[in-house]
Order: sequence, then structure tokens, then C-alpha cells
Amino acid sequence: MAHQQQAMDTALFERRLRPVYDNLEVGNNRKALQESEKLLRKHPNLLCARALKGLSLLRLGRYEESHSCLQSVAEEKPVDDSTLQVLSFCYREMEQLDKIVELYQHAVKLNPGNEELLAHLFVSHVRVEDYKAQQAVALQLYKAQPKNAYYFWSVISVVFQGIRGPESCIPEKRNLYLALAQRMVDKHIKEGKLETEQEAFLYLHILKLQNKYQDAWEFLTGELCAKLYPGAPVSMKFELLKKLGNWLELNKLLQELLDADRDRWDYYKEYLQSCFELLKQQPPEQQEPAYSLKTCHDFLLQIIKSSTRKTRGPYLARLELHQRMRAHQLPAEELVGDFDELVIEYFHLFGDKSCCTHDIALFLPSISMEQRQSLASKLLAESGVSSSSLPQNKEHMQKHICALQISRMCGAHIELSTDHLIAFYTALKLHYEHGHSTFGKELLSTEMGPSDPYALLAANVMYDVSKRESKSDYLFEALCLLQYVLRNSTSNFHVKLLSLKIYHMFGCMVGAQEMYDYLDIKQIQLDSMGYVHCNLLPLSGRFSGVRNCYDTTLKFFTNSYKERLEYISLTYRFCTFSKMEEFMNFKERLTNSLMYVACSVEAQLCDIVCFYGSIQQNLSAYVAMSIEPADDRISWNELSDNRDLQAIIRWDPLHVDDTEAERKESFEQEIEVLQIRSLLLRLFASFIDLYHAPQGAKVAMSNDKTRTPTPGDDIATVELLRTSWTGLFQRLRLMNYKPLSQNFLVNLLPTRLHLLLKLPYESFFDDLAQLVMDLYSGASQLALQCKKVSENVVSVMELCVQTITESNEWNGMDGLWKRREHQQKVAASLEILSLYAFLLSVLNDKLQCSAKTKAKKKTSGDNKTQEPISEKERSQMLQELMRQLKHKLEACDAAIRIWKPPTLPRELSSFMADMSLKPEVEATLIGDVSATFKESHELMITELRNLLKDKIRMVGK
Amino acid sequence: MTTLRPFTCDDLFKYNNVNFDPLTETYGLSFYTQYLAKWPEYFQLAESPSGHIMGYIMGKVEGHMDNWHGHVTALTVSPDYRRLGLAGLLMNFLEDISEKKRAYFVDLFVRKSNKVAINMYTNLGYIIYRTILEYYSGDQDEDAYDMRKALSRDVNKKSVIPYTQPVRLEDIDMN
Repeated sequence: MAHQQQAMDTALFERRLRPVYDNLEVGNNRKALQESEKLLRKHPNLLCARALKGLSLLRLGRYEESHSCLQSVAEEKPVDDSTLQVLSFCYREMEQLDKIVELYQHAVKLNPGNEELLAHLFVSHVRVEDYKAQQAVALQLYKAQPKNAYYFWSVISVVFQGIRGPESCIPEKRNLYLALAQRMVDKHIKEGKLETEQEAFLYLHILKLQNKYQDAWEFLTGELCAKLYPGAPVSMKFELLKKLGNWLELNKLLQELLDADRDRWDYYKEYLQSCFELLKQQPPEQQEPAYSLKTCHDFLLQIIKSSTRKTRGPYLARLELHQRMRAHQLPAEELVGDFDELVIEYFHLFGDKSCCTHDIALFLPSISMEQRQSLASKLLAESGVSSSSLPQNKEHMQKHICALQISRMCGAHIELSTDHLIAFYTALKLHYEHGHSTFGKELLSTEMGPSDPYALLAANVMYDVSKRESKSDYLFEALCLLQYVLRNSTSNFHVKLLSLKIYHMFGCMVGAQEMYDYLDIKQIQLDSMGYVHCNLLPLSGRFSGVRNCYDTTLKFFTNSYKERLEYISLTYRFCTFSKMEEFMNFKERLTNSLMYVACSVEAQLCDIVCFYGSIQQNLSAYVAMSIEPADDRISWNELSDNRDLQAIIRWDPLHVDDTEAERKESFEQEIEVLQIRSLLLRLFASFIDLYHAPQGAKVAMSNDKTRTPTPGDDIATVELLRTSWTGLFQRLRLMNYKPLSQNFLVNLLPTRLHLLLKLPYESFFDDLAQLVMDLYSGASQLALQCKKVSENVVSVMELCVQTITESNEWNGMDGLWKRREHQQKVAASLEILSLYAFLLSVLNDKLQCSAKTKAKKKTSGDNKTQEPISEKERSQMLQELMRQLKHKLEACDAAIRIWKPPTLPRELSSFMADMSLKPEVEATLIGDVSATFKESHELMITELRNLLKDKIRMVGK
Repeated sequence: MTTLRPFTCDDLFKYNNVNFDPLTETYGLSFYTQYLAKWPEYFQLAESPSGHIMGYIMGKVEGHMDNWHGHVTALTVSPDYRRLGLAGLLMNFLEDISEKKRAYFVDLFVRKSNKVAINMYTNLGYIIYRTILEYYSGDQDEDAYDMRKALSRDVNKKSVIPYTQPVRLEDIDMN
């Protein structure tokens, strides 16, 4: 009876709770709150309803109420699944993962042996990566329900204690844990209970971790493994044979595999290694014929001869053999033949495939510059296309393209004179057009044009010329060409990426945004590809206009941040032991993405710069950002570089282009930029907090309940951050970073580091810190400090005005070459002044308030002989600062009003005149590109003027 | 010339030159992680000697009784590495794994308009098993072909007797 009653109640309550859930689901949090309160009036003790109320409050940003509501539910130690689910959801949202552990610990204590609760408890330990606790719970689970999954949960938890846990750095402990894990599985095997392939995988993994390669080999090749794990990758065999030094066996195995599968690079690589190892193993005194590489070469030749269908595999392997022999000072030429001839043969066979360039490029670094260049000329000659002849068919054209790409990689272009390069560009353009009109018609919209690579190469060449001449004309022409290609071949992402780059170089945000949208970058691409656009937006000349892009990016990150731990739980659910570590590392990489952290900081700075509401509105928006100046939340040493720099195709000379060095250098600088920007944010926030002490939200959200702020804390924070601020700049100047090389079109644009060091950020905010503190204490040097700051304001204004004058002057010579730099400087000036304007408005508000209440405070602990300056005087000084700022902002506005749109290079009508384009196509094309530049400038002007208007109003009252 | 290896989480950061292709969908993380966690051996990647991602295949194995089958969820090859037989290699791999898992057949869905793909699958031995109406939603909904190839366990090739009537997605028992 009682049971029945309970079941009825559950069903009833579930029905009543439904509206709350439904409203939460669709984001109608206010209604959810109302529904939960309605329900609680009838059933005040319904825990789940109370928990849901807590969740609604949390979603509404009413953190304190939510906190106490959830706390009271938790204190009742709930055991029902739905309440526990809601509570753990809330704690997950608030990142209080240890509370979930507590929650389920209580629940399990009251219901010992409950499988479901134990499983939840286990997962809660997984979230905080407490492997020891995981192990204990897994064993309890196994006792409650002897399922293999639970047994292996405990095994893997033991493994993780050995290799990832706090004791993993002690070798003895590590060995102990791994030995224990092995014993656990051994026992299971003995009892005949090993069931799945992942269990078999885990066993192999444990053996390998202990360097027990022989045991692993026996298990892998044994009957049980064959039965449980028939899909075990053959690479596992390679790995073990290599560890065991059994090169002969490996060699035999690979010959068999290659006989069946003749195009597998992984096999050839291992095969060649085994051959070289066999060679090494021959004792010198042995009389029998030693293993010779002739066997290897014969094997490759035999594959080539016996294959009916030509595959790249054996040919590439032969080149690799040649390369490795040379590296070992062995007579490669004697055995394998002339290197150039081998490459040419390869080119003959596979030059019509677009991957041929990548393939040949693999072997270029191993030969001298002279040999590279002579090889490049041979390939060009082989391609059979010259200045007087055109490709006969698609395949022929692709060969020509391949030879051209290789010759660039060999450094042929950097040695040409500028005139030659321009002539070369024209030839490429004509080849593109010829290829397009002859072989490129009737393409599917999803296909790339077969002659597109000519145009991509042409754009790179034009960049070379532009760079050499320090003039934008050539590159602008390349942009027009790319835009033309894009009309013919709408899905060519290479064209979009290069156009995007050029638009950014020229400060044309509208064009850049267009290309970015066209690329349809989403999800994880926002992280790996963010560097091509999102990362270039701060100080680009737009503020509110770029917020959207930050938002989309941040939305991806916050979503995946929330989900990140659930991915790991998933691997436990499916017992995918082979992926657990990978998932954990992936989680780290994603959470510590530099892109993520930098984008959040920039978005916050951008928001403060753009404040336009009343002082109260601005302040509450500020509080909602919950910046904690005293607390550096960035894990600087963990930051991760997730950029996919290889996504942009390039054929730059191999001896100059070093992507990995570029990656390292740029990453270091980006971290320094982030140092400046995040410290700027925190320092600035400390100014605000000094006058507008944060209450409520921040405190309730913070995990740290023990700390109660004391009055002196805030001023100390300002002092401390100011010291870090000047210290940071000092260090950065000493570091003497070099601007990133701009040798080639595909190089990354310079980071903002040098810009930030050159502009008056350091002194401006340093002096501002003093002003804020003097104003707070009423120090006698306040008047002096006011003067200093107003002088700074004048110089920032002048920087803005002068930059615009300079930009207008440049328009007479080259409207685009310095455009980006000028826009950055103006944007930086306005950023500084906008932050300052908001600060003044907050100070003014505070001083006026306290003046009104006449609450004349005594400054405590003041042992100076002088009386502090009265609040009234302070208020007057502040008013004066505001008046002055208003003037300077107006001066900036006046300058921006006369900022001219960039003049575009050369006479527009003569553009691409030598192309076989139809005149009307040409006219609309150039018209469109020009219009994009014009629109971009106008949008920027409107936006900057609106920004100034808001700031003038902010300080004008 | 290819290296085949399991797709890893880190590859998600590097697959752009493949995923920028207009016919390749970039999914949310949970989609990939679910496949990686549940069917790790069914998510395989082809890498070029220079370390570029050439393409990948993503699939699963599911179903009851004689409907136990491998399924191809996504198959894509970078534009730079087409016409090298890579798709066939990846499909072979998936069929092979499905054989080892004792599946009866392999199936996949393809846009009715994607002639290139349909042709390729036909050459690999797949037949059009049935048409699924309005399977792909978008500006204009599109029908899908459900294509199948029997594996050795299906001795009588029962799984590849085509359906003549088109069906709707909601009418299919996916298991």
C-alpha cells in the first residue's frame, strides 16, 4: 500500500513539476520561478521544487538567493534522483564540482549499495579527477553489481593513479599502481571473465606502461586477444616488435602487409626503418653476406613492376630510401639511381594529381639549394608549357601548376627582378583565364576551378612585389583577381582565406567580415581558425561592430566548457579505455585555449569601451562582468595554442619559411599581448571597485567564503596592480621582441604587442592609478596629478588627430599601405579615452553622492600633517577633468569627420586591362571591391563618431 | 600514399583543410565525442606523408539480430587528395572492421543529387536499397538514397534486396 501511495505521489509530482522543467528548457526562467513558487505554496517541502527554484534563480542571475535556496536543499541530504539531478546540474553550472561529490556521498550513505547512486558518485569523482576515490566507488559498485564495466572502472582508476594522479611522479608508486592494475586484470583473465576489446586494449596498455613488451606481444598474438580484439590495429604489432628489437620479424610482417596493400605510407616508413636497423645489426666480422639495402630496393622495384595500377606508394618509398641512404652516407645513387631522375619520373607519373607538390616537397630539404633550383627548372621544362605554349588538357595544366609551385618552394621567385615578377604575374593571370575558359566551365558549385591555383600563386607573387616596393597597388590588384576567381569558383576556400588576409592587411573590415562569413567557420573551427579573423579584430577600428564575432566565438567556448566533463564521463559509460587520456588532454586544450581567454578579455574591454547607458545601467553591466581585479584567473603556463596554421596553403621557399618557428614566436607574443590586455582590464576594474565596491553577485559566485574584504584591500589592489602594470611594460621593453616577419603573404600579421608598447597605454594608466588613489584619499598632490592626467589626455587626443592627418596625407601617395596601422592607432586612442570617460563618470557619481549626503568621513590612519582636500574641492577638480575630456573628445570627433576614405591605387579603369575579361564583368568587379572599401570606411566613421557622441554625453553632464 | 590511423580529438583542431569543403559538415563537439567514445575504431583518418589530413571516415555499428550492421555517418576527402582512391580505402577499412564485428551489411545515406558520390559507392559494390523521403532538411528538403552492401555473414544477401517503395524517416526502424 505504502509503496503504491508513493508511486502515485511520484507520478503526481512529476506532472506538477513538468511546467517548471519546460520553462527552464526554453529559457523562460522568470516563469519557471513563478511555477516553482506556486508549487511550493502547496507543497512547501517538495525538495525537487525547491531545487528547481534555486536553478531558476541561478539562471536569473540572482546568485545570493539561489545560493541559499540550494544550500538549504542540500542540507536536507536528498536521496531522490530528480532532486539530486537538479542540484548537480546547478553545481556544475557554478563549477562547484566538489559539492556534487558531497551530495552523492550523503545519498549513498543513506542507501548503501544503490547502483544508480553509486554510479553518480563515481562520475562525480571523475569530474574532479579524484582517481583514488573513483577506485573505491568502482569496487563498491562491482560488489553491488558484479558487472565487468565496474571492475574495469576500478582498474583504470588504479592505472590513472599511477600515471596521472598526484603520486604518479614517484617512480616506485607508479610501478606499484601499475602492478596492482595488472594483477587485477590477470585475475580476471584467469577466471575467464575478460569480455570486450576495450578490456583487452586496457590490458595491453598496462603491460606497455610497465615496459613488459614481451608479455604484451604474447597476449596480442594469443588466442584470447584474437577472439576479443580482432580489430586490434596492426600498428600495435609494429610498436611492440620495435620495442623488442625484433627487426627481422617486423621486416617480414611489413613485406607481407605491403604486398597486399601497396599504398600505405605508414607501412613503408616502418619497413624502411626495419631495413636500416637490420643493416645496423650485422656484426662486422660476420662472413655471410650481410643484410643489404639491395633487398629493400629490389622489394620496392618488384612492387612497382608487379602493380597493374600505378600507386604513389612504392615510388615515394624509393625516394625515401634514397633520402635515408644519403643521410647515412651510403651510396644512394649507386643503388637507387639519380635523385633528379627519380623525382622527374615521379612527376611524369603523378604530376597531374594536386598532391604531387606536397609529395615532392617532402624530399627537397635534403638537397642543396643549387640542386633544388636545377631540379625546379628541369620540372618546369618537363611540364612542357613555356611562354609560347599553353597546356593541352587538364592533366597537362595540373603538371604545369605543380612545377610552378615546386619552383617557388625552391626559391626561384625571390631571385627574380621586380619586372620579371610582374611579367610572371601577368603570365599566371593569363594561364588562370585560359584554364578557366578552357577546362573550368560546367563545374559543380561545390568544385574548385582546375586553374584556380594559378591565381593563388599570382596573389603570392604580387605580395612579394608589394613588399619589395612598399606599395599596395600590386596587392590590391591581386585582391581584385582573387575576387574574380571567387565568382567563378564559389567554393574555393583558399581564395577566401587569402582575400580575408589581404582585406585585413588593408584595414577593410567589411571585406574581411564578408570573407569570414563566406568561409562559414563554426564550432571548433572558431578556436582553430579564429586567428584569421576574430583575433585581428581588437583595435581594428571597430568596436561595437566586432562584438558579434566575439560573441559567436565565446558561445562555442562556454558551451564546450560546460560540456567538457561530460565527454569524459561518456568514455566511462562506454568503457572506452583507449580514449580516456585523449579526452582528458583534449579538455585541457580546449579550456586553456589562448583564443578563448584572449577573446573573453577583449570582449570585456570592448563592452566597457562601448558603454552608452546611464551611469546606473553602466555600473550594473560592469558588475555583471564580475571581474575580480585582485584575482588573476588565467593559468598562464597552461595556455594552449590551438591554431591550425596549415589550413592556409603556401608554396613559399622552404629555406626561408619556417612555420613552426613562426608559430612559437607569434604565440609568445600573443601571450604577452594578453598579459597587457588582461592587466589593463584588472587595473581599470580596480579603479572602479575602489569607488563602487562590488557587492552581491561577485561574492556569492565566488567559492571562497572565508575571505571578507577589508577597507584597505581595494587601495592595496590598485597599488599592487599598478606595480605589476609598470613592471610588465618594463619587462616587455627589455625582452625586445622582434615584429613577426612579413616576408610572405601567408605569414601571420604582426601581433599588437609593438603597437601597445609604442602607444601611451603604460603612462596613461599608471598616472591614472595615482589620480584615482589621490582622489580617494584627498592627497595634497591631487591638483598636480590632475594636471598630469589632463596632459596625457591632450597627447592621446593629439595622437588621434595627427594619425588622421597623416592618414589623409598618405591618401595622396598610397591609401592602403599604412591604412591598418592608422586605424589601429586611432582605435587605441579612442579606447583609452573611452575607458577614461567611463571612469570619470563613476568617480563623479560617487563624489556627488557623498557630497549630497554630507557624510564627511575622517580618513583613518592618516598621519599626514596636511588635512585631506575637501570633497567639494575634489568634486570641482573632477568636473574640470570632465570638461577637458569633453573638449578633447570633440577635437577627436572633428578630426574623424574629415578622415577620408582610402584612395584606391591607380586608375581604376586601367585595372586588369590586359585580362581577357569582358569589360562589363571587369567594371562590376572593381566597382564591388571599391564599394567594399568605401562602405568599410564609412561604417567605421559612423561607429567611431557614435562612440564619441556617447562618451561626450557621458562626461558632459 | 596514405597512413591510416584512428581519428583523435586533437585532429579536430587540424581538419580544416578537409572541412572547409562545402559538402563536409562541421558538427558540434558532442557529436564527434560521442562517436569517439562509443565507436572509436569506426572513426579513422587518412594522413599524407607530409602530415596533412587527407580525409576521414566516421561510422558506427548497431542494430539487432540480422540488422546488426556498420553505418557510414560521414566520409570526406580533401580537395587536394581526390582521384587517388582514398574514399575506397576508407570504405574498405570500415567494411573490414564491420566484418570483424560480424555485421551483416554496411549502409549509408547519400543526397539523391550527389551523383559523384552515388557513382563511387556503386563502383564499390553498393546498391540503392531504398529512397528516404525528405531526409535532408534545408531550404529545400532533399531525399536520400539508403545504399547498402552485404557482408560475408549475410550469406543469402538478404540485406540487399531493394525496397521499391520510398519510405519516410519516421517509418524506419533504425535498429
